[in-house]
Amino acid sequence: MGRELSFLIPELLLASAAMLMIVAEMARAARLVLVIGLAGLAAATLLTLPVLHADTTVFSGTYRIDSLSGWAKLILLPGTALALLMTRAEIAGQDREGSVYALICLVTLGALMLAGGGDMMLLVLGVVLTGLGSFALVAFPRDDAATEAAMKYLVFGAVTGSVMIYGLSFWFGGTGSTLFSDLGTLEGKPLIAIAGLVAVIIGLGYKAALVPFHFWAPDAYDGAPISIAAYLSVITKAAAFFAFAQVLRDLPPATGWPLVLALIAAATMTYGYLAALVQTNLVRLIAYSSVAQSGYFLMAVVALGASPLALPGIIVFAAAYAAMNLGAFAVVMVAGRNLEDLRGFGRRRPIVGVAMVIFLLSLTGIPPLFGFVGKVYLFTAAVEAGFLWLAVIGILNSVLALGVYLRIVVPMYQTGELETGAGTLPQRPLLAGVLTITALITLFMGAFAGLLPS
Amino acid sequence: MPLLTLATFLPILGGLALMALPNRSARVAHGISIAVTGLVFLITLAIWSRGIVPGGFAQTEEIAWIPAIGAAYRLGLDGLSLPLVLLTSLLFFLSAIYSARISERAPSYVVLMLMLETAALGTFMALDGLLFYVFFEVSLVGMYFMIAGWGYEERQRAALMFFLYTLLGSLPLLLAIIGLYLSSGTFDMRVWIDAPPLTGLAAMLALIAMLFTFAVKIPAFPVHTWLPAAHVQAPTAGSVILAGVMLKFGTYGLVRFALQMTPEAFAQAGQVILAVGVVSALYGAFAALAQSDLKKMIAYTSVNHMGYVVIGVAVAALSIDPRIRVIALDGATLQMVSHGLVTGALFFLLGMLQDRAHSRDMGDFGGLLARVPWLGWAFILSAFASLGLPGLAHFPAEFQVFLATLNTAPWAIIAILAIVVTAGLYLRAIAAVFLGAENEKWAEMPDLDRREKLVIVPLLILTVLVGVAPGWLIDMIHTTMASLSF
Repeated sequence: MGRELSFLIPELLLASAAMLMIVAEMARAARLVLVIGLAGLAAATLLTLPVLHADTTVFSGTYRIDSLSGWAKLILLPGTALALLMTRAEIAGQDREGSVYALICLVTLGALMLAGGGDMMLLVLGVVLTGLGSFALVAFPRDDAATEAAMKYLVFGAVTGSVMIYGLSFWFGGTGSTLFSDLGTLEGKPLIAIAGLVAVIIGLGYKAALVPFHFWAPDAYDGAPISIAAYLSVITKAAAFFAFAQVLRDLPPATGWPLVLALIAAATMTYGYLAALVQTNLVRLIAYSSVAQSGYFLMAVVALGASPLALPGIIVFAAAYAAMNLGAFAVVMVAGRNLEDLRGFGRRRPIVGVAMVIFLLSLTGIPPLFGFVGKVYLFTAAVEAGFLWLAVIGILNSVLALGVYLRIVVPMYQTGELETGAGTLPQRPLLAGVLTITALITLFMGAFAGLLPS
Repeated sequence: MPLLTLATFLPILGGLALMALPNRSARVAHGISIAVTGLVFLITLAIWSRGIVPGGFAQTEEIAWIPAIGAAYRLGLDGLSLPLVLLTSLLFFLSAIYSARISERAPSYVVLMLMLETAALGTFMALDGLLFYVFFEVSLVGMYFMIAGWGYEERQRAALMFFLYTLLGSLPLLLAIIGLYLSSGTFDMRVWIDAPPLTGLAAMLALIAMLFTFAVKIPAFPVHTWLPAAHVQAPTAGSVILAGVMLKFGTYGLVRFALQMTPEAFAQAGQVILAVGVVSALYGAFAALAQSDLKKMIAYTSVNHMGYVVIGVAVAALSIDPRIRVIALDGATLQMVSHGLVTGALFFLLGMLQDRAHSRDMGDFGGLLARVPWLGWAFILSAFASLGLPGLAHFPAEFQVFLATLNTAPWAIIAILAIVVTAGLYLRAIAAVFLGAENEKWAEMPDLDRREKLVIVPLLILTVLVGVAPGWLIDMIHTTMASLSF
């Protein structure tokens, strides 16, 4: 037992930090809540390093301590810390500020469970824990838009979550076990395998905002504070893909799941960018762009089992996506919610403007930025798995992506009068810090990609 | 000393240093630009003096990058890339001198130029497939912002078209590179060249993907349509770099990737590629004939000249006689350099003309030779070089290409008609702009100043030198081409 707990130190640290945060929030010490959260996340990140190369399970095989869950922690925990800083920059001084930080840490705990879960019950627990916290986070502003968004998010989540639990019961019935590692016995029982698979795709597809389970995403991102949108679009989404990887690694490919997911991936990236092309609200535009990015993410999941690059691909792309998407949302916090706010922004705020260009080019997949390295992994994995057509669709969509992102870049550098007003927010040091970190990672991590997992 | 790495990254480091400076006046920016590009030119001369070796790459430099997937930072040179590296560093140096008059957002302009130089040198020297792709794409970004930020009237549209078109064009190359990687387990281009890993259908698909990419870049008919728009709208130095350096990415890739890495498929598709070259050469010439906008005219002659390069490479693949192959490849490579020198000079001269007149329509001028003799004679010399007059830079290149063509695929010699057409269009342009009745409007036009002469004279000297005594350059190219096995 002691050995098992030693592998769980990061999770335990985060859980205790979250509890302490709730206590501190009772004393209305918002700053203290934040500090405890950041310290907990930092400690958990550092203490992940010793178990990074472990490959074992704890609690009778239900929770996996492997390279995937290890790297997931190294991405999700620092990503959460950055999101906390962004949230502080946005809602400092507001009522119930501390509870937002505590909720964020609890949701991240759920995300870690998704990333490490080796059992259906843990999968359900992770989905519920991330879901409940997220609904409350979206509803934080307490205005009509936020309430409606949270309601939509909740109803969608409740329905997909129930369907997932129902479907998982088929797998339990078919294998007699809740462990994913027993899914191999489903070979020869295609109907049962497919019933459970559909359920998992619906449940996790909703979390990952895959088409056609993405409808909540633009509304929720737009209704929530921008920093919460950034958090949801990065942490809970990446966690869903880690969970996909944990589940599907053990499912026999004979059930045809790679093809189903490949079709969903193609639909997701295409629909996401097409919808982004017509948005005038910057938050919704980036929301649809992150829907499209989910499609790229899914390419690596499709190749699981058929390409040794699929698993590293999920990790590398998750790291890249976390940096560039958090960064892009941080710029939105500086610039304003509408595309019009961006007119002349690159000239008013040259450094933030350049950072935005870096994030957007990286999202497009232009080398040598981090997003490009991630996409090389994804494309290579997909081609190796025999999904050349999916790689071709991914490539065609990269051109669409450029069109989408240039809609943001072009007005930033338009000549003519420089409008003031929205987007002239004084730079907050916290936000400057987040922008610096994410921009440096996006810019230089491509050159140091050798440090990432193989 | 790792001179290749130094030459490649010195420009971008200079750009970063400029960004870090507290005083970023136009003067300081251009000073840094000229100093850095000048230094890089000297470094490339030192690289030249170190020499190359027959068969394989010289002066290689290698550092681990992503060992997990066999990608590394690998640079090296051979007789195909060295002339292009020298051309690149020279044209960037001259562009930096020419651009010194730009005062609008000069620091950003200089940073972009320096970034482009890093990308261009890296593209020619990379020996790693992934690294090549990185440099290749970075150049797109730099050129997009250059056109969008400092171009003429319709720059936004032209820049967008350029970026979308060439991004769509270059992504198939990524697929081909992934295919080569998956079948060999490494991104080392030397491995791909020594033992082409793809065969049969996979090789043909990879070749088609690569041809698409490089045809857009070259640009060959029918995917050339981005070129006139981008050229006309780009600032002068942008046009020079675009035509002089970036179009060579396409022809360089055609040889380095398509011919060397999928040789069998290339030979099978040789007649089709040859036909594309012939059509491009003829189409480019006739389209240029139809232009009254001088910049557009020169842009279309690029389509024509690059068509000859495609013909040369295709003939080399089709021929079974090793001697003819070498002649064809020598000619094609020399043509790349000649085009960089001559078209670079022509775009500089048009830029100087436009700076003075704010027009580039032939009909607006007349009799300028008496008014601005330096500009006039420089243009006439460059135009004669461009139409392939013996004794000037294009002649030895085109002569070798046609010689090999006549030997291997006689039908393709109809491309020689294009020379007649270009002769006609240049004579027409010279007559319209520099001869005839003097237009009163330009009575006050000043001739080239010292800075402008400094930019144009080296190119004119080299144009004559390559035309009269091309031996030193052909020997460099020949070292590699003679030992090429494909």
